[in-house]
Amino acid sequence: MVLSILPGRIVSLRAERLLVELVYSLMDSEFVAEDRQKTNASLAAELHDVRLSRQGDSDAYTRLIKQHQSQVSRMLWRFSRDPLVHEELVQDVFVEAYLSLRSYREKAPFGHWLSRIATRIGYRYWKQIARRGETESFSLAEWDELPDKSPDEMDPGRAAEMLHRLLGQLRPRDRLVLTLRYLEGCDVAETARRTGWTKSLVKIQSLRARKRLKKLFAQAGKGLRE
Amino acid sequence: MKNESLFEALSARARSETPPSVDVAGRVIAILNAEQSRIEQLTEKPLLWLAAASSAFAVSAVVIAIMVYNASTGPLYEISQAISWVVQ
Repeated sequence: MVLSILPGRIVSLRAERLLVELVYSLMDSEFVAEDRQKTNASLAAELHDVRLSRQGDSDAYTRLIKQHQSQVSRMLWRFSRDPLVHEELVQDVFVEAYLSLRSYREKAPFGHWLSRIATRIGYRYWKQIARRGETESFSLAEWDELPDKSPDEMDPGRAAEMLHRLLGQLRPRDRLVLTLRYLEGCDVAETARRTGWTKSLVKIQSLRARKRLKKLFAQAGKGLRE
Repeated sequence: MKNESLFEALSARARSETPPSVDVAGRVIAILNAEQSRIEQLTEKPLLWLAAASSAFAVSAVVIAIMVYNASTGPLYEISQAISWVVQ
C-alpha cells in the first residue's frame, strides 16, 4: 500500500509514519523549548520575589505563598487529615520558611526547598502526636473488608483515609518513609532530598518499614489476602 | 491479592486525591508582622535599658558633683582646712 502525502512524491506507509513522527517530534521540541522559556521566566520571577521577601516585602512573599500553597497543602494532607490541623501546618510551613529565608541558597527551585520544610514540619507533628500517644484507631478487619479486585474503583479519598490510619499504627519514622515512597510516589533520591537522609538510609528505612507493616498484618492474623 | 499489593494499589489510588483548598497568605503575613514587631520590641528593649541606666548614672554623677562642690566651698570646709594648716 502506498500513500501520497507530499505533492509529487510517493512514499510507503512506513516512511510516512516516520515522517509524521519526525514532524511531531519537531513540533514537540518547539513546545518543549517554549515551555522551558516559560519555566525559566517563572523561576526568575520567583527568585526575584524571594529576594524581595528577604528585604521584607510582604507583597512578594504573599505572591510566593499563593503560588506554592496548593503544593504544600497537598503534601501536608498526608500528615494530617484534620482540616484545622492541616491548615495550621500549611501556615507553619510558610512562617518557618520566611524565618529561615536567608538559608535558602537559590540552587534549587523554591518549591523544592519548601517541600523539605513541609516534610520536616509534618514529621515533627507526627512525632508530637506519637509522644502524646494520640494514634488514630484502625481495625485490620476494615482492611479485610475491602473489595479484592477493585481498589482502582475506590474513592481516592477513602483509599487515602484508610492508608493514613493504617500507617498511623507505625512509628513516625516508618510512617514517613512509606508515606513518601508510596503515597507521594517519591523515588529514593526524592525521599532522601525531602527527609534530609542519605539514599542508603532511605533504602534501609523503607525495608524496615515494610517489614513492620507486614508484621502489623501478621499480628492481626491477616498475613496474606488470597 | 497480597496485603502489600493492595497497599500499593490503594497508595496509587490515593495519589489522585484532591486535598481541601487552603488560603493561608493573609494569616501568614499577619503572624509575620506580629513576629516582626515583637522582634523590634526585643531589639529596642536593650537600648531603652541602656538609655535608662546611663541617665541614672548621669543624674547621680551630677548630684555627687554638686555635693562635692558645696562641701569644698562651704564654711565648714574652710574651717577644717584652717585647722589642718594650724595643726601642721
